[in-house]
Amino acid sequence: MSAGLWRASLRHLARRPGQIGLSVLGIALGVAVALAVGLATGSARRAFELATEAVTGRATHQIVGGPTGLSEDVYRMLRLDLGVQRAAPVVALDVAAPDHPGRVFQLLGVDPFAEAPFRPHFGSDDPLGTVAALVTRPGAIVMSGPTARALGLAPGATLTIRVAGARHPLTLVGTVEPADPLSTQALESVLVTDIATAQELAGNKGRLSRIDLIIGFRPADRALLERIRRALPPGVELARAGAQAEATASMTAAFTLNLRALSLLALVVGMFLIYNTMTFSVVQRRALLGTLRALGVTRGEVFTLVTVEALALGAVGTLLGIGLGLALAQGLLHLVTRTINDLYFALSVREVWLTPGAVLEAAGLGLGTTVLAALAPAREATGIRPREALVRSRLEAASRRAAPRAALAGLALGAVGVLALVPRGPVWGFVGLFAILMGAALMTPLAVAVLLRALDRPIARAGGLLGRMAARAITAAPSRTGVAIAALMIAVSATIGVGVMIASFREAVLRWLEGTLRADVYVAPPSLVGSRPDATLDPALVQRLATAPGVAAAGTARGVTVASARGPVHVVAIGMAAGHAPGFAFKRGRPEAVWPQVDKGAVIVSEPFAYRRHVGVGDRVRLRTREGEQAFPIAGIFYDYGSSAGVVMMSRATYERHWADRGVSSLALYAAPGVDLERLIAELRARAAAGPVPADVLIRSNRALREASLAIFDRTFAVTRVLRFLIVVVAFVGVLSALMALALERVRELGLQRALGLTPGQVWGVITAQTGLMGLVAGLLAIPVGVLLAGVLVFVINRRSFGWTMPIDVHPAILLQGLLLAVAAALLAGAVPAARMARASPVEALRDE
Amino acid sequence: MLLPAVELRGLTKLYREGESERAVLRDVSATLWLGEIAVLVGRSGSGKSTLLNLISGIDRPTAGTILVNGTDLTNLDERARTLFRREHIGFIFQFFNLVPLLTVEENLLLPLELLGRADAEGRARARELLDRVGLADRARAYPDRLSGGEQQRVAVARALVHDPVLVLADEPTGNLDAETAKVVLSLLDQLVREMGKTVVMATHSSEVVGAADRVFLIQHGQLTEQWGAGDGR
Repeated sequence: MSAGLWRASLRHLARRPGQIGLSVLGIALGVAVALAVGLATGSARRAFELATEAVTGRATHQIVGGPTGLSEDVYRMLRLDLGVQRAAPVVALDVAAPDHPGRVFQLLGVDPFAEAPFRPHFGSDDPLGTVAALVTRPGAIVMSGPTARALGLAPGATLTIRVAGARHPLTLVGTVEPADPLSTQALESVLVTDIATAQELAGNKGRLSRIDLIIGFRPADRALLERIRRALPPGVELARAGAQAEATASMTAAFTLNLRALSLLALVVGMFLIYNTMTFSVVQRRALLGTLRALGVTRGEVFTLVTVEALALGAVGTLLGIGLGLALAQGLLHLVTRTINDLYFALSVREVWLTPGAVLEAAGLGLGTTVLAALAPAREATGIRPREALVRSRLEAASRRAAPRAALAGLALGAVGVLALVPRGPVWGFVGLFAILMGAALMTPLAVAVLLRALDRPIARAGGLLGRMAARAITAAPSRTGVAIAALMIAVSATIGVGVMIASFREAVLRWLEGTLRADVYVAPPSLVGSRPDATLDPALVQRLATAPGVAAAGTARGVTVASARGPVHVVAIGMAAGHAPGFAFKRGRPEAVWPQVDKGAVIVSEPFAYRRHVGVGDRVRLRTREGEQAFPIAGIFYDYGSSAGVVMMSRATYERHWADRGVSSLALYAAPGVDLERLIAELRARAAAGPVPADVLIRSNRALREASLAIFDRTFAVTRVLRFLIVVVAFVGVLSALMALALERVRELGLQRALGLTPGQVWGVITAQTGLMGLVAGLLAIPVGVLLAGVLVFVINRRSFGWTMPIDVHPAILLQGLLLAVAAALLAGAVPAARMARASPVEALRDE
Repeated sequence: MLLPAVELRGLTKLYREGESERAVLRDVSATLWLGEIAVLVGRSGSGKSTLLNLISGIDRPTAGTILVNGTDLTNLDERARTLFRREHIGFIFQFFNLVPLLTVEENLLLPLELLGRADAEGRARARELLDRVGLADRARAYPDRLSGGEQQRVAVARALVHDPVLVLADEPTGNLDAETAKVVLSLLDQLVREMGKTVVMATHSSEVVGAADRVFLIQHGQLTEQWGAGDGR
């Protein structure tokens, strides 16, 4: 293609720095949000994998037991009776470091002499003699050198850890220097100690978490595996290494998918922006493009010109977006990690894990979106006939004629979207959601025309002829205003939809907490996973608290993770307080029928569990117990918003019978009539502190626990709120860009108005009224679309992603907020162009006449 | 010997207007010879611009054939017609239609670049033409810094810079005052005659008619020669 054409193109872009800058900013923001979410969720996943790798090492198989692990005798039997050489016992537990807030470690108790083939990081060469120190000094630990330095710990220093509410000082006897950045990250959150120390800290003497094995793939090895399997006692199993970790990591898949979908919405809104910019640049150059065509420039060349211009904008925007995304990822990583810690598992991630794949994906998304957005304007440009003196009004007339067709196409797309909601799986849910949104966007120009026609009289009454001018300026330029209003409508409807969903969810959680939390005081050790107490309370402490004066009755709960053929299952065993039935709300089953069955050994499962495993009342849940796999009949399905993975609940007696575990994870205490709660809590706290090991337990009133639970709930949606805000920012940039384009086009018209006698203030008023009206129309249209979106989120996405159902709660306040947001965003975006136009001299504006 | 530059045979152009069809040109035939200046006159809407569009290959006739320099444009697809136009036709518009984003010199170079001929020779030719239209000193100026007459002089140079067979001009003086129009017209007349180009101009201006070798009237879809070289002018 001719260099002259490229020059002309470049100068065209250079003459509109504001317009082009906004477009670049829009695409940059979209790419940044998508990349940041990808990096943050990817880094969290990567950190989990690395941590798993660090502690799994080169093991090929693992022998695992129930919630309390397995007896050391199994290890002895393996080494002595079966002659398995490459076997290493492990005690693993998550611990917090209270002196370093936010730090979570996996404490790994190992046998240093059996370790070498498994975890080469530790113990292969031992220049400092740390192995000897580990074995000979109780409470000795080894950690990675970089982590020790980051925490300001030198060998000999003390690191206090907290396990099940009790603080324990440990001594750093040596550090391991990772060979490469990968190992640095892998070892970042690992503490190594000897088996005995770990067992003591876990309160589980004589028990192991697992035994790691390295077994090859020769026939002899297969025979050995078979021998091991046969020799294992009931409740102990041989599993492929990493199987457990995979199942754990997969719990966050739905959460990640939801964030990714929301981040893509930012990019979609950015796409409107590029579309608007490119359409504007084509419309502005119609005469020029027509001349070029007359001079012999082919359609293909015009198409290439417009597409390459868009690509150039997209490339700059994408590059900026990648830079911005890296910075944003650091902030989001913190929120994502916190949510994972609140909902799923203990995880500590410090650094964004930047992969070429993620950057390439962002670049592909940015450029792909740009090209997609530029296709229609580029095609329109090729349709410009040589010498065609097509005036703007003819184009707008064509746009108006196209509006009903676009609306029809939008309706069809919306219908396709609804159909896409039918198949199972959250991905289809999001496909449907996006199709519905795009359908609504296509219907916007017609809806705007209809709405403004309906508002014509009231507007005229309120604003006179100037008001009418403002309204008609919108309908007169549908090719401009339609897209801007659609972009703003999408962003605001997303805000309304997500807002209504969160509010409905919060309302459901609130009702659920009110129904479930019936005791007066709750006691639990500080948990690493916010929403799930699964540490163990000291039995003596349980005794001291349950028998405190003023306590009428005590109920217990034991939360553990047990294995099943279909992955780990969170089991809660409840010891009911005498005379107090637990306050569960059942989705299936009547309480008076359910509880007697639970007493006889049946279980109840939470709604997400039933949804995920496709089970109902009368089916059975198969869990691995100490006697091997057992089937438990399901007596009821209860509402539970505490865990998206699902929970199986059983009576304490059933649990103890099958797992022989007498541990208690939390206590629910009922106050005797007339007892002052505050005084009771003070008494309980005093009793907790009075023991031989001061217990760091949380003793909270019903209200405090409810508030803490809601705080966790709100925290888990923090990242969603950030994304929602960013989508609105992108839409705001879109509206600003469209309004600037409109103002530029209307220079002459406004100049004429000034020549006719309108004051600058009146011109400003007309433009401000126009932008305000655009915001109002976008807001009004966003309300039904937002409510529809909320419906899809609540009834389809949430259910398929997490298994939760809840009634939808449309608060008028949220709708009003959305409307105000739309008007405010439009007015704010219109402020600069309005001021500029009002200042424009009529002489300048009419100079070309 | 006279060689045909443009041959129109049985040319018809119908436009659909709602349910009915309106014939702008009906069975028009004519031959324009190499090196002559032909002028089309007629009322507004009579079909002058339509005929120019057909000769340039911008539009296609409903029936009939158009041969330009021996090439039947009606047999070419849109792309081929565009490439043909690029090489063999120069255009002058009423509103100058210079590319506002390119300097005067770059505007002249654009047709050459499109043809891959913006080499040293092409540049020299562009400069020479600029000199001929008296705007050598404005080569680096952008069109919006030029007066209407100057812009049209640049347009004349641009129409000739790539050495086309045929120059089409649609109301070339329609947007200029009488004095400036005279200057531009005389420049165009001088240049095309020197270079031996065929020119077809649509106009209302008697000045332009005065410069013609042949004058055609378009009326009721018919093309009638009013007078020409044979009239002993």
